Amino acid sequence: MTVFTVFFIIFLLTLMVITALAIVQTKNLFAAAMLSGIFSLMSAMIFFLLDAADVALTEAAVGAGISTVLFLGALALTAENERAGTAGRAAALAVVTVITAVLVYATFDMPRLGDPNAPAQLHVAPWYLEKTPEYIDVPNVVTAVLASFRGYDTLGETFVVFTAGIGVLFLLGKAPVGQPKVSPAMTFAGKTGLRHYQIPRVVGRLLIPFILLFALYVQFHGDYSPGGGFQAGVIVAASVVLYALLEGEEQARQALPAWLLRLMAATGPLIYGFTGVACMLLGGNFLDYSVLAHDPVHGQHYGILVIEAGVGVTVTGVLISIFHSFAARGAK
Amino acid sequence: MIYYAVIVAILVTMALALARALIGPTVYDRVLAVNMLGTKTVLLLAVAAFFIGRPDFLDLALTYALINFIGVLAVLEFFRVRAQRSLAEEKEGE
Repeated sequence: MTVFTVFFIIFLLTLMVITALAIVQTKNLFAAAMLSGIFSLMSAMIFFLLDAADVALTEAAVGAGISTVLFLGALALTAENERAGTAGRAAALAVVTVITAVLVYATFDMPRLGDPNAPAQLHVAPWYLEKTPEYIDVPNVVTAVLASFRGYDTLGETFVVFTAGIGVLFLLGKAPVGQPKVSPAMTFAGKTGLRHYQIPRVVGRLLIPFILLFALYVQFHGDYSPGGGFQAGVIVAASVVLYALLEGEEQARQALPAWLLRLMAATGPLIYGFTGVACMLLGGNFLDYSVLAHDPVHGQHYGILVIEAGVGVTVTGVLISIFHSFAARGAK
Repeated sequence: MIYYAVIVAILVTMALALARALIGPTVYDRVLAVNMLGTKTVLLLAVAAFFIGRPDFLDLALTYALINFIGVLAVLEFFRVRAQRSLAEEKEGE
């Protein structure tokens, strides 16, 4: 890492701090949503400069893409400005100050950036780097670690995504009882979306197949380049959201009905788990893909492809369900 | 050398766009600023990919370009909904 890159990162961090302060300070919720999108763009840039392209891709797709859309969907249900809260400000400030001080103190124990003696460089990382060509033989070591060496963790993460989806659907899935229905034109994406605006519609419809193609590339090329199931799932969800924005949410719901989305959300963890069980039935350990083919390395490749597909299906199902549950909720 | 010049130029543009997003004053300034920041990030990612010697990371810039477009459409839809609602409220008021 050159001195220039360090300055580059410091500059971006400074802009991030300014953005964060502005998010706290502004009362306009729309401005806060836009600024949080900017914040996310910059943090993705920093991940990228630190050579963590997989993380940067996730941050780009989730932070700057889907969550901005979800924020806007939620904002369409609320008032324009944050209500001023005055109660307990001093206490809140005190708590934040203490926690900040403790966290800053904790950073003194952290190894310096790029320290060769840091635990991260000495513990299992060298072993992963050394053994990946031998055991798994994929160029993107991140995928090897995520899907194979640390397959259990990723299985857990897939269940976390699934559980979080269930939680959100419990809270938002059903329309509140006793509230007046509003016309679909006044809900986010609603019945028509931007259908009457020709230019976005034509350009957007042209883009959807390419976005899906790109998502498939990110999904199945994850062994070779940044990407994988999580990122691809978000990109697929983004393309469906784009369709919903252009043609109306009802149309998108007809194309991908709610039951199908729920089924997708549940199928992913099942695919993942059953891959592990299949490995056990073939005589290996749980999620030890080497037994899936005659050649252990090929077995690893098959295993990674299948479980990444499972992750992708879950993420897609959960994210589109969340988008629908925001969009379908009529504003007051 | 050319990379340094380009990166610094893009960073300065980003800072200016951020300033516009912070100051406002209207929402349209902010939308435009965010859109511009998105574009600059795509450029910056593309330049940085070559600068740090990983041109295969251009995928990221591609993701950004696609996602940014969806974000802008979401903003448009948000304003359409808001306009519809204020229209309906005016009618109720009459």
